[in-house]
Amino acid sequence: MSRVALAAVLLAAASHTPAVDYTLHCQGCHLPDGSATPGSVPALSGTVARLARTPGGREYMARVPNVVQAPLDDAELAALLTWVVQRFGGPGDFAPYTAREIAGLRAQPLVDVAAARRELLGGDASR
Amino acid sequence: MANDRLDRWIERRARGLARGTSRRSFLARLGTIVVGAAGLPLLPVARASAGERVPAPDEVALAGKPEGDPKRCEYWRHCAIDGFLCACCGGSQNTCPPGTEMSSITWIGTCKNPADGKDYIISYNDCCGQSVCGRCNCTRTEGEKPIYITPKNNDALWCFGTKSRAVQCSVAVVLGVATESS
Repeated sequence: MSRVALAAVLLAAASHTPAVDYTLHCQGCHLPDGSATPGSVPALSGTVARLARTPGGREYMARVPNVVQAPLDDAELAALLTWVVQRFGGPGDFAPYTAREIAGLRAQPLVDVAAARRELLGGDASR
Repeated sequence: MANDRLDRWIERRARGLARGTSRRSFLARLGTIVVGAAGLPLLPVARASAGERVPAPDEVALAGKPEGDPKRCEYWRHCAIDGFLCACCGGSQNTCPPGTEMSSITWIGTCKNPADGKDYIISYNDCCGQSVCGRCNCTRTEGEKPIYITPKNNDALWCFGTKSRAVQCSVAVVLGVATESS
């Protein structure tokens, strides 16, 4: 086995399932069911499904600060975000994120998250 | 003739319905519901906010050792805790002291259980609503990140979404095993 292949195997062995990654990196704030904590954390439940059906929403979800900064590589983050979309009611035909796509979106973090969110969802979407 | 048959059919159904909905059967069904409802708090989902969310990992082998004592900073689940240990403050490693409210927002890490060598997902929830406990202060930083990576920092007070922002102590709840990717 080549060193590259061995490294790839070791890297894969160190990663978690998307569900475990959600617990480790998202659930602390977004809770197991994705419900909101008013005044502190916006809901994933309901919102992710809307964003997944809104032009620009796919990109938005991969550019919010704690997604961009998650201690995961691009492939792990792609799998996690795809899982989140499926878990919180995204459309059945939602194309899975790819590692290459995530790498590109991570390079464009949102500067004004609230404004981007208002633009996509309208109304009271300040958080 | 058709009307007679219809009458008899309706009569049979009405009598059957009456038999099936007697006071006795109603009471029997009510009893089932009452007993069932009493059992609901025992289900894992209902217990989740109050304590362990998965079967407790094996800690028997750690009995008598600091790694097995929830009142010690060396307790295996405390590998990334920062605060006063609730087990010393009238609560336990899973539960808040009476009169405090567990913050649902929390920071989550992993600790290796020396009893079985597995990495477990640990949720460090703060117990909020009373002044600081002041007993068993413990600061450990395994896997913890600087404050500018807020979701992985344990210096922050995590009393979000609670009635009070005052923090009394912290618990270390096991959420599951950090299983490897399939």
